[in-house]
Amino acid sequence: METLIHNLKLSWHSIQRAPLPYALTLLILSLGLGTFFSNATLYYWMNRDPIPEKSQTLFMARLNSLPGDCTDCFEPPRVISYMDVQKMSGSGITSAEAAMFSSNAYAKTLENQQATPSQVELRVTQRDFFKLFNVPFLQGETWPDNKARMEVVISKNTAIKFFSRTDVVGQDMLLDDKLYKVIGVLDDWSMLPRLYDVNGRRSAEPAEDIYIPLETAYDLAIQSNTQNSFTDVDWDGNMATYPQMARTNFANMLQFWVQLDSPEKVQQYQQFLKNLVQDEKAAGRHPRPEGNKLDNILDIQKAMRATNDQLDAFALVASLFLLVCVVNASHLSLNRYMANQYEFSLRRALGASRWQLQSQIMADVLLSSVLAFAAALVFAQLGLWTINSLLPGTRALASWDWQMLGVMALFVVLVSYLVTLYPALKTSFSPLNQQLKQ
Amino acid sequence: MIKINNLSKIFRTDLIETHALRQINLQVNEGEFAALTGPSGSGKSTLLNVLGTLESFDQGDYLLDGRSVKGLSDRELSALRNEKIGFIFQGFNLIKDFSLFDNIELPLRYRGFSSTERKRRVEQALETVGLAARRDYHPSQLSGGQQQRVAIARAIAGEPRILLADEPTGNLDSLMARQVMELLEKINQQGCTILMVTHDPDQARRANRHIQIVDGQLNDSSMYEPLAAGA
Ligand SMILES: Nc1ncnc2c1ncn2[C@@H]1O[C@H](COP(=O)(O)OP(=O)(O)OP(=O)(O)O)[C@@H](O)[C@H]1O
Ligand SMILES: [Mg+2]
Repeated sequence: METLIHNLKLSWHSIQRAPLPYALTLLILSLGLGTFFSNATLYYWMNRDPIPEKSQTLFMARLNSLPGDCTDCFEPPRVISYMDVQKMSGSGITSAEAAMFSSNAYAKTLENQQATPSQVELRVTQRDFFKLFNVPFLQGETWPDNKARMEVVISKNTAIKFFSRTDVVGQDMLLDDKLYKVIGVLDDWSMLPRLYDVNGRRSAEPAEDIYIPLETAYDLAIQSNTQNSFTDVDWDGNMATYPQMARTNFANMLQFWVQLDSPEKVQQYQQFLKNLVQDEKAAGRHPRPEGNKLDNILDIQKAMRATNDQLDAFALVASLFLLVCVVNASHLSLNRYMANQYEFSLRRALGASRWQLQSQIMADVLLSSVLAFAAALVFAQLGLWTINSLLPGTRALASWDWQMLGVMALFVVLVSYLVTLYPALKTSFSPLNQQLKQ
Repeated sequence: MIKINNLSKIFRTDLIETHALRQINLQVNEGEFAALTGPSGSGKSTLLNVLGTLESFDQGDYLLDGRSVKGLSDRELSALRNEKIGFIFQGFNLIKDFSLFDNIELPLRYRGFSSTERKRRVEQALETVGLAARRDYHPSQLSGGQQQRVAIARAIAGEPRILLADEPTGNLDSLMARQVMELLEKINQQGCTILMVTHDPDQARRANRHIQIVDGQLNDSSMYEPLAAGA
């Protein structure tokens, strides 16, 4: 311990001896690390399992039921129709199931009707949504069934924003001038990446503010703000007929999620879908080939072709940049060590073993690591800020948890060691007498 | 104390081989104060470096305290340098941004002494070289002679068996050189064997043994010069 402190003091001395080259080395190193970290952060958040306790049981189901004879259309659409959902629901095989889409509205409270309404993000969904994704309730609970009702579940932040408190079950809210009653308030919750909504690469956005029942949305002609695909729809645009039209046509806007608790259940549900298609075909519907999809939540980005290639490209560039920085920093650090070679030789002459020199070098590494880590975090924040403004969809990914910080710190030590390794070996193995001869 | 047999050292560069030491035989006994002289380039520093294990050799044997240094590991060699040998360089080789205390303490740290033991030894060494009052000075605040005394203090703080000094007064004026010589004589009287390279015939005469080296070979006549016991 005493030796470590002494060695750290020596490291500090040697920095003071030539602060500028050292600062430059540190700058280059932390710039590379910072860039790398900002990308690694995004990459980590985008590619992690957001719900490891049950990701194996969550699946998105799709049918290839669009009209029009097309023998080589094997891939079902990204969003499905209300009719599809009706048929796929109630199988008795799933332990939870919910159809959903995203939308938005202007909201205000009844108490504060004069206020300018503020825009809120809506998740239009069904009773089981919260069960599917383990969404915690602070107050109240989900709807008792999937029927239309003017009732909403709101996030904790939304409650605080509109009511300045969280015990607001029973309160009224106006969404686009329609009156709803709050029946539940969620606890703090986020799902990153938000894999239940990867369509349109929106999986990195924060969770929605307000949840409203699917049937209500159909009744009120609330549509998806992500994707509405109308196929062979003959509609005069009369809003009065929208609910009927949207429920009976290929007005596709839904994503349908099911929970299947075991491989047998998955098998059964697949069979169920297969039978469904057969029945449909027998009834003269479902003209396209069978193309049922039951994609696990962890495969969903790939299945929906919603992987973020930009992020991958950034990550590659950042890694290369880090490499260049490490090489440069190593070069600078070699110069620094060469300038101090005399002192290393002197220490050897005074009886320091190579190992004792190494422990001095490790103190250098430690000190550099601490400084580089701090600087790298600053650069990483800058990097994240830049990427977030270039790719607004990544805003929710800009934070670190302790585990990440730990891994990053370890990485910094490793890289700092790498940067010092060659110079260190070179200095401790160079012939002794030459330097001391003056 | 020191015994070398048929020791040769060849420096090889791309173009030339320099035979710096040619089949040297030498024995230095416990308590001797030996002066090593010879023309420039004759191999004095090389011999000293080999004796101090700062330099390897190509042929022959080197026994220090009865033990061959050939084939010792880095750790063993470092310990040897640290414990048995004190080195004094012509250019002092002090670390500039260390205080005198820290400079002298450095080799003691490698030895693993406790901080109280280090303090005791450093203070004693500073006392011996007469710089006790300046323990917190930095080398740049001292004269050349004082700096060399610090270097001597550093060399003797570990109580080595042998002190190897390469032109310790080469950079000093005659007054300071005399002070340093007196210091070395004092240290020798306390029982430390000294081998000193010098260009100064007076100094060589003051030593109780005079070894000459020419072109990498020891002058035979000096080798068997009878040892004068005491000064
Ligand atoms: N590292 C080296 N590489 C190549 N040749 C060397 C090296 N060190 C010394 N020599 C050569 O070995 C010979 C002896 O050198 P050494 O330094 O021992 O001489 P010296 O007697 O100490 O001279 P001086 O009195 O000038 O200090 C010289 O010819 C020198 O050029
Ligand atoms: Mg010399």
